[in-house]
Amino acid sequence: MPTIYIDNKPYEVKAGKNLLETCLTLGLDLPYFCWHPALGSVGACRQCAITLFKDKEDTQGRIVMSCMEPVKEGACISVSNATAKAFRGQVIEWLMTNHPHDCPVCDEGGCCHLQDMTVMTGHNYRRYQYKKRTYLNQYLGPLLNHEMNRCIQCYRCVRFYKDYAGGEDLNVFAAHHHVYFGREKDGILQSPFSGNLVEVCPTGVFTDKTLKQHYTRKWDLTAAPSVCQHCSLGCNTTAGERYGKIRSITNRYNGAVNGYFLCDRGRFGYEFVNDENRITQPLIRNRVPEAVDEQSLMDHLKLLLTQSRTLIGIGSSRASVESNFALRQLVGSENFYQGVSLDEAALGKLIASILQSGAVHTPSLKEMEQADAVLVLGEDIWNTAPIMALSVRQAVMNSAAANALQQTSIAGWHDAAVRELVQDNKGFLANAGLTASPLDDISTCTLHATPHDIAVMGFAIAHAIHPGLPEVPQLNNELAAKAAQIAKALQQAKRPLIISGPSCYNEAMIKAAFDIAGALNTGERKAMLSYVLPACNSMTLAMMQAPSFEKSIDRINDNTVVIILEQDLYRSIPPAKANAFFNRCKNLIVLDSLHNGTTEKAQVLIPAATMAEADGTLINNEGRAQRYYQVFVPTTGMVKESWKWFWQMRSLQTSSGNGLELHPNDWLTKLEKTLPQFNGISRVSYPPEFRIHGQAIPREPHRYSGRTAMLANLAVSEPKPLQDNDSPLSFTMEGYPNRPPASLIPFFWAPGWNSIQSVNKYQQETGGALSGGDPGIRLLEQKTGTPTAYFTDIPEALPAPRNKWLLLPAYHIFGSDELSAYSAAIRELCPEPYIGLSTQDTAELGITDGKNITLVAEGEEYTYPLKIQEHLCNGIVLLPAGLPGMPALTWGSWATIAPSLKNNAV
Amino acid sequence: MGRKLLLEKAHVPGIRSYEVYRREGGYASVEKAFKHMSPDLVTEEVKKSGLRGRGGAGFPTGMKWSFLAKPEGVPRYLVCNADESEPGTFKDRYLMEFIPHLLIEGLIVASYALGSNRTYIYIRGEYAWIVDILEQAIAEANANGWLGKNIMGTGFDCQIYVQRGAGAYICGEETALIESLEGKRGNPRIKPPFPAVKGLWDCPTVVNNVETLAAVVPIINLGGEEYAKIGIGKSTGTKLISACGNINKPGVFEIDMTISVEEFIYSEEYCGGIPNGKKLKACIPGGSSVPILPANLLFKTAKGDTRIMNYESLSDGGFATGTMMGSGGFIVLDEDQCVVRHTLTLARFYRHESCGQCSPCREGTGWMEKILKNIEYGKGKKSDIDLLWDIQRKIEGNTICPLGDAAAWPVAAAIRHFRDEFEWHVDNPVESQSRNFGLAHYADPRPVPVTA
Repeated sequence: MPTIYIDNKPYEVKAGKNLLETCLTLGLDLPYFCWHPALGSVGACRQCAITLFKDKEDTQGRIVMSCMEPVKEGACISVSNATAKAFRGQVIEWLMTNHPHDCPVCDEGGCCHLQDMTVMTGHNYRRYQYKKRTYLNQYLGPLLNHEMNRCIQCYRCVRFYKDYAGGEDLNVFAAHHHVYFGREKDGILQSPFSGNLVEVCPTGVFTDKTLKQHYTRKWDLTAAPSVCQHCSLGCNTTAGERYGKIRSITNRYNGAVNGYFLCDRGRFGYEFVNDENRITQPLIRNRVPEAVDEQSLMDHLKLLLTQSRTLIGIGSSRASVESNFALRQLVGSENFYQGVSLDEAALGKLIASILQSGAVHTPSLKEMEQADAVLVLGEDIWNTAPIMALSVRQAVMNSAAANALQQTSIAGWHDAAVRELVQDNKGFLANAGLTASPLDDISTCTLHATPHDIAVMGFAIAHAIHPGLPEVPQLNNELAAKAAQIAKALQQAKRPLIISGPSCYNEAMIKAAFDIAGALNTGERKAMLSYVLPACNSMTLAMMQAPSFEKSIDRINDNTVVIILEQDLYRSIPPAKANAFFNRCKNLIVLDSLHNGTTEKAQVLIPAATMAEADGTLINNEGRAQRYYQVFVPTTGMVKESWKWFWQMRSLQTSSGNGLELHPNDWLTKLEKTLPQFNGISRVSYPPEFRIHGQAIPREPHRYSGRTAMLANLAVSEPKPLQDNDSPLSFTMEGYPNRPPASLIPFFWAPGWNSIQSVNKYQQETGGALSGGDPGIRLLEQKTGTPTAYFTDIPEALPAPRNKWLLLPAYHIFGSDELSAYSAAIRELCPEPYIGLSTQDTAELGITDGKNITLVAEGEEYTYPLKIQEHLCNGIVLLPAGLPGMPALTWGSWATIAPSLKNNAV
Repeated sequence: MGRKLLLEKAHVPGIRSYEVYRREGGYASVEKAFKHMSPDLVTEEVKKSGLRGRGGAGFPTGMKWSFLAKPEGVPRYLVCNADESEPGTFKDRYLMEFIPHLLIEGLIVASYALGSNRTYIYIRGEYAWIVDILEQAIAEANANGWLGKNIMGTGFDCQIYVQRGAGAYICGEETALIESLEGKRGNPRIKPPFPAVKGLWDCPTVVNNVETLAAVVPIINLGGEEYAKIGIGKSTGTKLISACGNINKPGVFEIDMTISVEEFIYSEEYCGGIPNGKKLKACIPGGSSVPILPANLLFKTAKGDTRIMNYESLSDGGFATGTMMGSGGFIVLDEDQCVVRHTLTLARFYRHESCGQCSPCREGTGWMEKILKNIEYGKGKKSDIDLLWDIQRKIEGNTICPLGDAAAWPVAAAIRHFRDEFEWHVDNPVESQSRNFGLAHYADPRPVPVTA
């Protein structure tokens, strides 16, 4: 490790870094704007200037930009040198000449990097006495607010949006001191990662428009570490609350998972917590009034549960491990099901068993970014796991950069130089899907085909890599050529990554993905295999091997009590089937947070807490268990965590204890004992009695204002602070003032660093893992020496039934997820329902784009406008999955296009 | 009378056409190079000639060429920088307009030396009519076998393309030029990698000024050593100077870098003195970005030597008492000129042309312009002068590309040498609006203008 001298003090530092990140890692405060740990250096803002001396004798030195200078053995630099300090002050003064100083009305105020840096440099007096330049702002859609006058032209927005995330509709316009960052004209930003601009922008040019509706300063938020619920990746978030409403979601850095970025669904999809449609009171049907208090509910439940009836529990893939396990304990393992269709349950079980076998490594998102060849087999990750798509993009870019850098001595953080070297070169990505995806733009090899063809190509790739595996009979030329090309590229890679998932409802595809990864896993090569799952906690239910609730139908009679946990079964199976199911349920208890079709059928409806009001654990698609913490205690109604309700029900059966003595950690310890596949999960969090120097971790920053007065309209005396018995977090601003353990960080703050950039004070090294290790316990590790149990059952091509189309779901980042669609802003971005057919099929049917057509599936008719899918192959009909108001369908079944309408169209 | 190598034939009637140019001995250097010289030998001759880049920086051309990376199987590019945008500089326009084949000839030889099969002329957008002239010349060269496939049976292919810029000064900076040529926003790149290793489309690239490339023709015709004999010391060969301002004969002159500044201004062969018997106040000898010099420092260096029109002599004394050769945009100011107003004009230009990438230049140039405007219009304060000085000091050397320096130097030099004029503007806000400060004690005009 080289030694460098900073202000005459020797430091041992890591080689290959630049001096800015080195200084920050050492804990020195050095202001910067254009640099970002995930975006690298371009040396544009000139803010991070330091003095570099030729040697120890040199007293003069020269100003250099620390972000552009590599660490060199024996280098002498000064951060505190007067010339450099004066220059940094001058740069801030320049930047502030045109900044409007509108902090009091700016949403960024209090978490603004520009504020922090201005204070840090000591600039406090304006010498600039002229008019400031002004701009017209743009409408950028429902998610982001645009206020260009605040811009300090650091270029980070376009570098993130275009270079990092691949967006095309945000750019820099004009020149000199009138450069403009925006769109060519007003309009909705197209990238699903646009929300990150809120955090990437060092000041208030891009701010969260949803936060604006119920604005609260960062210092007035009660915040807790949370985990995103809107897909299976488990991105870490910080949820902030005030006055019983979630105000905003910000990124919570986790070096192994989401890093610095979230997708827009995750960032803006929080408003279901605040929805008017929330269930806050227990209801018992056909009572007057239906809303009851807790005692009446318990009395009623006692009758229901103790009359030795059979209990059937239906677990939920959006409820926590604790809630699912508590339900399983309540009803018994043989009576525990999950609320997904038969097909989905089978696919989940297959994926879990593949990953649990330990034959191949399933990577974290961070590891995916290091892949040097990627194959996406049939999963539309752009829409089902957006941040994974962002990671795949980084893998493609990183491997191209690594190739380019081999020939030069330029460091990888030298963003501008690296981009010049890389030009349009890309690493290897093969993207096979049903139809076009934004990932196609960066893929070397693209295939749009039927699920069967994709799966068969997968087996052909596996065979090409490992000739011992069976050959695919009668493979068509296109697939054979692509298989050969992909197999070659994967074999040349050192860290190939295979991604698949259940969204095509094709079992063979999942098996083929495993075969390829297994075949690649030889010698030095370390193959990675990642499956996307349908929901945030699908992995838990798959690992519990819970069967589909459809299997329970025959067991339900008038005497059975069915308990449905936090889900709408109408989203899993077609309405007719669901109705048939509910018709059998005479005693139906539903726990949920929002009213939906299922809660309407409930005889007993119990208000369940959302992620904001609950502690719980989720297991993401890589088998990483992560804890989310209660943000606030709802002041109205009787909202409680489902696992608390279940334990109360349990105590009705056994009539001992009130059930409130169990904490989430106790549930996990029990779970470990009951189901050994969850071994280690109890380490996911600290016990509730954990204290640092006798102090809990405060949910509120020490500058939290108005705490004593905010309830003065109700009572003038200050109420006793709420107690949190389930976690080491407190509901106040009092507590341990310094950095808490990584999994317990409620907000990022450090002295002088109020913005999210303060995360560098929480990291082991800038841009690296959080101090103490990134949060999360991985339950699915590769076991060395495990033989690879290949799948050899290559499916035969089944001829499509005459005049039938294969019915498959089209996923949409905005709309396909249940909870996020409650946010008004997300709802605005949801597509309208449609029926998608290929160009050729459309022509043959003689129907025109945009006209209503009718689809007949399982005897039901569905009429929506036709949307021609240019890249879709023939014989498939796509319907958007999960859109609000759209019924669930039996995906993977055969459907017809109504002949009556065919005739109308002619 | 100085020796002319570039413009000797510029005024032969019809020299713009291929026939006349060829008749006058044109394309001889191509014949010589292709028939008798290897590419390396051409580079060697250019090295021997001591030719320095004529775009402004004065970097030895031969050395620049020898830095060009030559990896196997990777194309190399020669780019001709015809984005002549420096205020006061118009020598390349003159050359391209009057004797376009000279540039084409130089480009062919240089392309041969560097192995560039596709050579680009990146021309300033405002020079729209010259594009037609150049394309005509290229078409003629093509028709006569000087361009295209297998030129003169050597197996060397070369084609020249003309690309018009969109009018940004910054695109004259070589890396911004490359960005623009690639179709991107013309922002300068950070070096390394240098264009010689990774330039246009990630390939090794040499960017040379028009005049530099034209000078390759006489170098090959005469031989490098012969060329090097012209001039003094490291300032070899001839240099085009575009003279303008308060002189009797504005225009483009070819000098051999041995004449004195005084001679250049006052001799009939060159500028022909200052009109109406006015006195000389100051001069910017190398284009708007080089430091302005008052008359007393212009003719004699601080040591008392005669200042010669060459790289070394003009920069003698550093920035304290010297200036730079620059791109040869020679601007003369007589006693009626206001240095404050003049500086304001330049500041306005640099503010407008800043690309907006790095903070010092983007924000500093605009600020300087505003302060200068206040001073010029009688609204300035004494502290504004120190503020100006402070701002330019912090810009200089701290930007990504040299535009920051170019914007800072004129302001610095104006304050350095003409501080009392600035102060007079501040102290006499009303008077300064109605009359000129005129000559001051620092200016040392010639006692009696001598007509040569």
